[in-house]
Amino acid sequence: MKGYIGIDVGSVSTNVVFMDEDGIVRDPIYLRTQGQPITAVQKGLRKLRESMPPGVKIRGVGTTGSGRSLAGIIVRADAIKNEITAHAVASSTLVPGVQTILEIGGQDSKIIILRSGVVSDFSMNNVCAAGTGSFLDQQAARLNIPIEEFGEIALKSKTPVGIAGRCAVFAESDMIHKQQMGCDLSDILAGLCEALVRNYLNNLGKGKEILSPVVFQGGVAANMGMVRAFEKALRLPIQVPTYYNVMGAVGAALLAREAVAKKGQSQFKGFLVSDTEYKAGSFECSGCANQCEVVEIAEGGIIIARWGDRCGKWGNVINQKEKIS
Amino acid sequence: MPIKVGIPRTLLYYYYFPMWKVFFEALGAEVVLSPPSTKRLLAEGLKNAVDEVCLPIKLTFGHVLDLAAKADLIFLPRIVSIEKKEYICPKFLGLPDMIRNLKGLPPLIDVNVNMYRNKSGAYIAAQEAGRFITSNHFKIWNAYRQARKVQKKYFRLLQLGLMPSEAMAVMEDRVRNEHLPEPQDINVVLIGHPYNIYDSYISMNIIKRLRSMGATVLTAEHVPEKIYKKCAACLPKKLFWTLGQHMIGAALYYLNRHDVSGMVHVAAFGCGPDSMTGDLIERYARAAGMPFLNLTIDEHTGEAGIVTRLEAFLDMVMWKKAIII
Repeated sequence: MKGYIGIDVGSVSTNVVFMDEDGIVRDPIYLRTQGQPITAVQKGLRKLRESMPPGVKIRGVGTTGSGRSLAGIIVRADAIKNEITAHAVASSTLVPGVQTILEIGGQDSKIIILRSGVVSDFSMNNVCAAGTGSFLDQQAARLNIPIEEFGEIALKSKTPVGIAGRCAVFAESDMIHKQQMGCDLSDILAGLCEALVRNYLNNLGKGKEILSPVVFQGGVAANMGMVRAFEKALRLPIQVPTYYNVMGAVGAALLAREAVAKKGQSQFKGFLVSDTEYKAGSFECSGCANQCEVVEIAEGGIIIARWGDRCGKWGNVINQKEKIS
Repeated sequence: MPIKVGIPRTLLYYYYFPMWKVFFEALGAEVVLSPPSTKRLLAEGLKNAVDEVCLPIKLTFGHVLDLAAKADLIFLPRIVSIEKKEYICPKFLGLPDMIRNLKGLPPLIDVNVNMYRNKSGAYIAAQEAGRFITSNHFKIWNAYRQARKVQKKYFRLLQLGLMPSEAMAVMEDRVRNEHLPEPQDINVVLIGHPYNIYDSYISMNIIKRLRSMGATVLTAEHVPEKIYKKCAACLPKKLFWTLGQHMIGAALYYLNRHDVSGMVHVAAFGCGPDSMTGDLIERYARAAGMPFLNLTIDEHTGEAGIVTRLEAFLDMVMWKKAIII
């Protein structure tokens, strides 16, 4: 068997998938990043190798997500692409004819509009993370319900309460207010879902034409309460694809396939990556008043990449013998 | 020893620096320029500026403070109007008076530049500014004439497709022959206030980034005055501010050009006019089917967010183009 690996290093989760040559996804792995992207990537690759039959050949590797450059350097990826392109590629391949992609992840949310198979518009949330997975996580923890049951409880609601969803801080105080008034938990949760959907559609969907088929993906798509709130607000059926939580990784694998087809061969380092020691360090450059934070990655004590400098003084020149600071 | 006149490298520096440099030098003064923006300059500005102003004004505070120790006079005109029957943003009008409150500053050349009634307002301003250095009227008139000539040449260079820094390098003979930018696969229009898009620090090097991703960057300053004014006149109602008019006129002009593949608008957080021109341009771009991206910059913008959006935007533009061809 031959295939491609896609790695999506997000703020909350790190996903690794293996996709065979016919584009069939196998072994999706969903891990928590837990603030350690390098370890998460290594763990993901180790798990992937264990779950695969022997004799599998890796034809290429792609990375995406906010940690894509870091992961790309560690595994020496063939394709390093932003998450918007990766999500769009994955959806349009797995759900042919898709016209709208709603994606809500741990700390960001985006909307992608496709027309005749091509991205025609997109938008990503700004600095504000209201209405993303982390906020739902936090609220579930406050109400002492496991996040996995959040959606189910919300679905039981008959009359969702009104909650101000403009800002996470206000939404929380509004929720507390409603809870102290004696509203039912399921009504509060369903109300929260509706508030977040409203916020999402106002912020990201502003001025965009949302047409069916609509696909909802990202970790939050597991929450049936959110799915129902979207259906109610848009009055359109919402599809949640099978691999909704690893779509970025699927996209990265597809992009790797494309890149390798163009280049001829992969530069993947192999699974030994998960056993090599990587260390990341950073220092503040004192070359000028910009004081850039330079990040460096070392493999077995030897620096393999640096970035973060505006002028390119550190990033361009890498002395192989240098030790990590 | 000649009198040292300090000019901050912000705001309308990108339009009128060549002119005032020649003017002051012809009067026998030495022109001192603040260094390109850095983290330190911005931090100084943030510390000293009032809270309500926009990012570029805050940055100007930092630049002026930097000049305090280097110059005998600081050139900081009170700019009321730079076009007949048009005003400029009121923050320019209040700038000298906001800055005056800083401690330890040399005297300010805070002459009024008001061309609302007629264009001779520029000469009146030059006369008043010149009197800070000499009382010889003929010398001032002569210097002003030379300055105008230089200014015309500078605007001509911009209209050839050079960026301000490149055009200034040509003007000051720092380069023999600045090459015009090589045509790339795609043309991307970058619309924004000159002091936002050309300041490589606060714009996170957007021009260089777009170029390195394979795009030719076109800006509003490349469009001749007659053309952008004609296009801006197509609006049902005249926009108030000169720079807003310039931006929207140029955007409308580019929307009609078939060789343009995408448009990026850069807005400063807290800029009132930007939020309106940005939205107006977005509506016209959408109606014309032009891919459009709105980026908002402020003092704590992470570079990653800008890079991801730009990458995804260019992917989208190239993807679209590949399919059309």
